[in-house]
Amino acid sequence: MEDLLTYLHLVVLPQMIDALVIGAALAIVALGLTMIFGLLDVINLAHGDLYMLGGYAAFTLIGWGAGYWGALVLVPLLVGAVGWGLEELGIRPLLPRADRAIVTLLLTFGVSLMLRDLAQVVWGTDTHSIAPPFGGMASFADVFVPTYRLFIFGVGFIAIVATWWLVYRTRVGAVLRATAVDPSMVASFGIPIRLVYGFTFMYGCGLAGLAGVLLSPIYAVFPTMGHDFLVMAFAVVIVGGMGSITGAVVAALLLSQVQGLASLWIPPVWAETLVYGLMLLVLVVRPSGLFNRIGEA
Amino acid sequence: MLQAKASRIDAKPLPKYAARLSVGERLVQALKPSHSDTRLLRWCGLAMLALAIIFPWLAGSFYMRLAIESLLLGAVALSVDILLGYTGLLSLGQAAYFGLAAYISSLMYLHVTQSFWLVALTVSVAVAVFSFILGAIAIRASGVYFALITFGAAEILSKIAHNTRAIGGSDGMIGIPVPRIPLLPGVAIDLHSNFAFYYAVLAGLVLIYLGTRRVLNTAFGSVLCAIRDNAERVPYLGYNPFWYKLLAYVMAAQVAAFGGLIYPLLRGFVAPNLFGFEVSTKAVVVSLVGGIGTLIGPLVGSVIITFLESVVGSYTERHLFVLGLIFVVFVMFLPDGLVGLMRRLSAVRRSANA
Repeated sequence: MEDLLTYLHLVVLPQMIDALVIGAALAIVALGLTMIFGLLDVINLAHGDLYMLGGYAAFTLIGWGAGYWGALVLVPLLVGAVGWGLEELGIRPLLPRADRAIVTLLLTFGVSLMLRDLAQVVWGTDTHSIAPPFGGMASFADVFVPTYRLFIFGVGFIAIVATWWLVYRTRVGAVLRATAVDPSMVASFGIPIRLVYGFTFMYGCGLAGLAGVLLSPIYAVFPTMGHDFLVMAFAVVIVGGMGSITGAVVAALLLSQVQGLASLWIPPVWAETLVYGLMLLVLVVRPSGLFNRIGEA
Repeated sequence: MLQAKASRIDAKPLPKYAARLSVGERLVQALKPSHSDTRLLRWCGLAMLALAIIFPWLAGSFYMRLAIESLLLGAVALSVDILLGYTGLLSLGQAAYFGLAAYISSLMYLHVTQSFWLVALTVSVAVAVFSFILGAIAIRASGVYFALITFGAAEILSKIAHNTRAIGGSDGMIGIPVPRIPLLPGVAIDLHSNFAFYYAVLAGLVLIYLGTRRVLNTAFGSVLCAIRDNAERVPYLGYNPFWYKLLAYVMAAQVAAFGGLIYPLLRGFVAPNLFGFEVSTKAVVVSLVGGIGTLIGPLVGSVIITFLESVVGSYTERHLFVLGLIFVVFVMFLPDGLVGLMRRLSAVRRSANA
C-alpha cells in the first residue's frame, strides 16, 4: 500500500503534470484547427507547418536580438499574417466550389509540402535549439517541475480562456458562431463574411504560431516537427468533435494524459499508436466526436 | 446538422437540359458513366501505350527502373481514382494497401515460399479481408471523415511496422529474393532482366486498367457515379450505397496492392515509409495532375510526376517544394487535370470548326 502511494506520488503524478503541460499546448493548436473547420469547412493540413514556422520564427527573432519575450509577442502575429495570406490567396477562391472540403484539404496539403521544404532552404536541415527564458524548478510535495513548463501551462490556460471568452462572450464571437451555422444569413445582415473567414484563419494560425514558440525550448526546432504534432492535433480534434471548441480542449487534455500515462508502461512509440487507435475507435462509434460543433448548443 | 451542412455544400445549379427531359430520360442521364468522350481518352491511352512499348529501346536501365516505379505508383493512383473519381470518396490512406501488400509479400518470400502466384494469391486475400473490415468502418462516415479515417488507419499501420522488431522495425527488411514467374508450362518470366520486368509490369498494369474500366462501365460503375453525384438520392432508386461503396473500396485496395506486390521485387527491400502519408498523398497528387475520374489520367500523371521529380531532383534537392507547387497550381487552376485540359482544348477546337 505504502509502495503504491509512493509510486503514484513520485512516478505517476509527475508524468500527469508533464502530460497536462503538453495537453495545454496541444489544445492551443487543436483550437485553431477546430475553429477553422467549424467556420470554413476547411481541414488545414498546413497547420502543423505553421506551428513549425512559429518555432523557426522564434529562433530567428531571438537571433536578431528580439529576446524570448519579443518573440512570444511577435511570432503569433507573424504566423497569423501568413495564415491570413493563405486564406486570402488560396482558400477563398476555392470556397464557392461544391467540393470545397476536399479541394481545400488538397490545397493545404500542397502548401504544407511547400512550407516544409522552404523551411529547409531558409534554416537548413539541422535541429536548432532555443534556450528557455528562465530555468529553475518549482517543487511542491517532493514533485519537481521545471518552472518553464508551468509557464507553458499558464500561457496555454490564458490562451484557452481568452479564446473561450472571444467566442462565447463578445460580439465578434456571436458573429463567428452565427457564421458557423449559416453564413449566407450572416452576410445578409451586412456583415463582411470574407473578413470573418480571414479573421478566423488568422486567429487559428496565430495560435499554432504561439504553440510553436512555447514548445520549441522543450522540443527544439526541426523541419518535420509540424508533421508529428499535426497528426496528434488531428486525433484531438476528431475525438473532441470537428469544429467543437470545448471538445478540442477536453480531448487535448484527455489524449495527452492517455499518451503520457501509457508511456509509463508501454514504449512511448506504442503509446502514440494507442492514441491513434483511440481516435479510430471514436470515429467508428461516434464519427462526429464527443462534443457539438461550434455554434450549436 | 451534418446533413444540412452537406446539402449546403452539394447545392449545385441544375444542368440546363434537366428541364427538357422526362423523368426516365433524366434517370438515364444521371446513371450515365462520366467518361462519355471516350474517343479522346482512347487516343490518349493508345499513344501512351505505344510510347510505353517502345520506351525500353529509347532509355537506359536507370530510366527503365524509374518507369517501373512510376507504373507501380500509377496502380496506387488508379485506386485513388476509382474511389475519388467514381465514388466521390477521398482516401488519404491508399498507401496502407501498398505497404500491406509489400510487407506480406516480402515476409512470404523471405520465410515461406518462392512461388509468385501463391504469394500474389495470399496478398490478394489478405488485402481483401483487411480492406473489407476497414472499408466497412470508414464508409459509415462520409466526406472528410472518410478521408481522416483512411489517413489514421494508414498512419497506425506505419507506426506498427515502425515499432515491430520482428518485421525489421524502422529499418524494414532487406534482401528480398527475386522469384521467377511461371506463366505457362515451360514459359517463365525472369525478373532479373530489366526488359522482362518492365514488360511484365506494363502488361499487368494494362490488364488491371482494362479490367477496371470494364467493371466501371457496367451498371455497377453507373451506380458508383450516381453515389458520387448525389448520394442522398441513390437509396430512392433502390440501391444501397453502402455495399456499392464497400465493393469499390475493396476493388481499389486490390489495385493498390498490385503496386505493393511488385515493389519489393524492384527495390529488394521494404521500409515503414511505404505505408506513409507521402505515398498516399503522392497518389492523390498524380491523380489530380492527370485528371480525376478518367482512369487513364492517374497513370499519365504518375509517369509525368515521377520523371519530373527525377529531373528536378538532379538539379535541386527541393523536389517536395516543386511537388507542393504543382499540387497548389492544379487544385486552384486546373481542377480537372491534364486530361480535362485536353478535353477543354478539343471542345474549343470543335466549336471553332462548327
